Amino acid sequence: MDTPAVESHRGDRNPSLIRISDFDFSYGDKQALFDINMDIAEHEVTAFIGPSGCGKSTLLRCINRMNDLIESARIDRGKVEVNGLDIYDERVDATELRKRIGMVFQKSNPFPKSIYENVIYGLRIQGINRKSELDETVERCLKGAALWEEVKDRLDTSGLSLSGGQQQRLCIARAMAVGPDVLLMDEPCSALDPVATAKIEELIHELKNDYTIVIVTHNMQQAARVSDRTAFFYMGNLIEMNATDQIFMSPDKEQTEAYISGRFG
Amino acid sequence: MDKRSSKTRYQLASNRKSFLGLTKESALKGLFGGNAFVSIVVLGLITLFLFKEGAGFFGQYRDSLLLYRQSGLEYVELMRGQQNALSALTRYLNSIRSRQIEKLAEEGYDFQESRAIMEESEDFFYDFEDLAVPLREHVIEANEILSAARDSYQEMQNLSEHRESLLKSGRQDEADALEIREIDFALFFDIVKSRESEYIKINENLIRGIEGILPSTPDFGDAELQAKTERFKELAEMFIEEVSKFEENVLAWERSRPVPISEAFTSFIFGKKWVTNSSIQDWYGLIPLMSGSLLVAMVAMFFAVPLGVGAAIYVNQVARSLERDLIKPYIEFISAIPSVVIGFFGIAVFGTLIREVSGWESLAWIDFFPISERLNAFTAGGLLALMAIPTIFTLAEDALNNVPLSYKEASMAMGSTRLQTIVRIIVPTALSGIISAVLLGFGRVIGETMVVLLCAGNRIEIPRFAEGIGVVFEPVHTMTGIIAQELGEVVHGSMHYRALFMVGLVLFLISLLINYFAQKIVMKFQISRG
Repeated sequence: MDTPAVESHRGDRNPSLIRISDFDFSYGDKQALFDINMDIAEHEVTAFIGPSGCGKSTLLRCINRMNDLIESARIDRGKVEVNGLDIYDERVDATELRKRIGMVFQKSNPFPKSIYENVIYGLRIQGINRKSELDETVERCLKGAALWEEVKDRLDTSGLSLSGGQQQRLCIARAMAVGPDVLLMDEPCSALDPVATAKIEELIHELKNDYTIVIVTHNMQQAARVSDRTAFFYMGNLIEMNATDQIFMSPDKEQTEAYISGRFG
Repeated sequence: MDKRSSKTRYQLASNRKSFLGLTKESALKGLFGGNAFVSIVVLGLITLFLFKEGAGFFGQYRDSLLLYRQSGLEYVELMRGQQNALSALTRYLNSIRSRQIEKLAEEGYDFQESRAIMEESEDFFYDFEDLAVPLREHVIEANEILSAARDSYQEMQNLSEHRESLLKSGRQDEADALEIREIDFALFFDIVKSRESEYIKINENLIRGIEGILPSTPDFGDAELQAKTERFKELAEMFIEEVSKFEENVLAWERSRPVPISEAFTSFIFGKKWVTNSSIQDWYGLIPLMSGSLLVAMVAMFFAVPLGVGAAIYVNQVARSLERDLIKPYIEFISAIPSVVIGFFGIAVFGTLIREVSGWESLAWIDFFPISERLNAFTAGGLLALMAIPTIFTLAEDALNNVPLSYKEASMAMGSTRLQTIVRIIVPTALSGIISAVLLGFGRVIGETMVVLLCAGNRIEIPRFAEGIGVVFEPVHTMTGIIAQELGEVVHGSMHYRALFMVGLVLFLISLLINYFAQKIVMKFQISRG
């Protein structure tokens, strides 16, 4: 990476994994993102915060090209690079990309299948059907998602029979099974109670060692608790991105301070 | 404060304007409630009416079957069965003869030469036909005696009804003047029964005659005709074996065996014949009509399910919004075409087209091509598919639409392709909805009348399923078609009239079952979604 980091930072940083540069994005006539520049470092938790409609989820979905599913979505300018590779290059296969960059959604969405089948879905679609490999993956991923102890005796019951927090951890396990480097989390705790939220947050801490995590959250305390770096968005613009402590203690921009101190948003 | 509250009260009161003691709200409630009530009452009345009109059928049918047995006509029918088997044999022989004539003509022989060549085989044909004569005459005589008895019995029935009505209107003299006799069937039947030894002798002669004549089958010196002749010999030998079975049945028949009501029931539900206005006996068997209906429906579903479901998947999952806006209304528009127009199209275009295509030389390898009938189960089924597609499409599309977008997103986010997502997630999740869409499409097809009446060929016979796929090109009649065709012409309250109502009732039950299961399945779908 020869271009310098776009924003200032202090202290040691892991090398950058995802680089977004001069990025403009629209839904039809409506521009959603304006000139975004940022680096997301490996093995860190990066939080996107900002009021509703500020574009944080949109940007998250640009990182694994989920916005391809929306007909009117369009990139006007700039690029997103992962490991130095422009992911919107026409030679890039979006399905391969999504295997490398997993995603967890706001509302837990296990398939109406058994817990076991939910976890190995990503392997099944790759044509992997060897029982020993599947079994091993299920155990590893459920353990990784801190769900193994709770469900190991009922792997063949429906994923929908779990509680909300368990369902969300099942979704994380499911995303892990494909073996991604990055996990994108789109407000993973917004539908959960505080106890379940605490469990997920704890999990995020542990996952940091193996994955690069980007989390969109509405909850500023959560961003402060789990993330290493925080990016604040407002009206489709990246206002400020910095170490989380820095953002919450002494933000550079006035808008950031106004938002985190609760004056708007 | 007081002023304000009084004003408020005033406004509240003024809002409650009423007309004839009804406020606006209760009037609306009454209107909609009334509509629901009326539809429930009408549905109930229809059901009641169907039952009321159909209910008398089994009693009447039993009486009819009883008369058939007591008059001994059933006995004659058993012998006629044997006669028909023999006639089939003669017909087969005739087909050999006509083939021989064709061949000779093709080879360029003129009439005189052909006659000379055919002289030898001609003798065999005539000899064989002569063998059938004694049995035929025996059956005809027996039938004449017993039919006469049955006819005079019915005449006496009519007379006694007439007498009743005269008595009711107080015309005693005229009533007394009517001469009403009791008809004793036993008397007539004994005459026929006494000639049983003749029947046995006829059979002995018949067997001996056939056995005597078989070795002298003509030698055509032609492979095709020779093969047919061999086949004829086989059939004749089979017939000889069957004769003893026919005879056994005839001898074992008893006039006094009762006809329980269950027999009327089973010969309706499982009856293989639908024969009306017969001089011998009317039969009201459901099987030919039911099998016709099912065959047509199967053909229709064969086309409509893949097309309807496929289109739904395409429109819901793959199509761009412009395509969706075009395709959806277009398919739904099909259901706006009046069925009589579709039927007309079937007669004028589709049926002819199918027959033309079946005559193509490149398709000659299909063993049931070319087809002979323009109007058949396939024609009707193909057009019914057209009518079922909008139903299946719309409901299946709804079911697919109900699959949460988050499932699709989750699947795509794990790197599955669009196709994998559709096959592994979307369709399995919507499956019960799709199945119920298919069921309701089936209900639509089974209940459709105009197209089958116009295009199914209307031959009341059980399709020959043993012939394989080719069966779909046979003309059939259907439950809906028969009601539409015959109900206008039957005597009100007659057995035939009631039989048609029973057919209607069966249709009603089928629709009810289909709808019930469709709803059950959809309900299961909703529960499994949590």
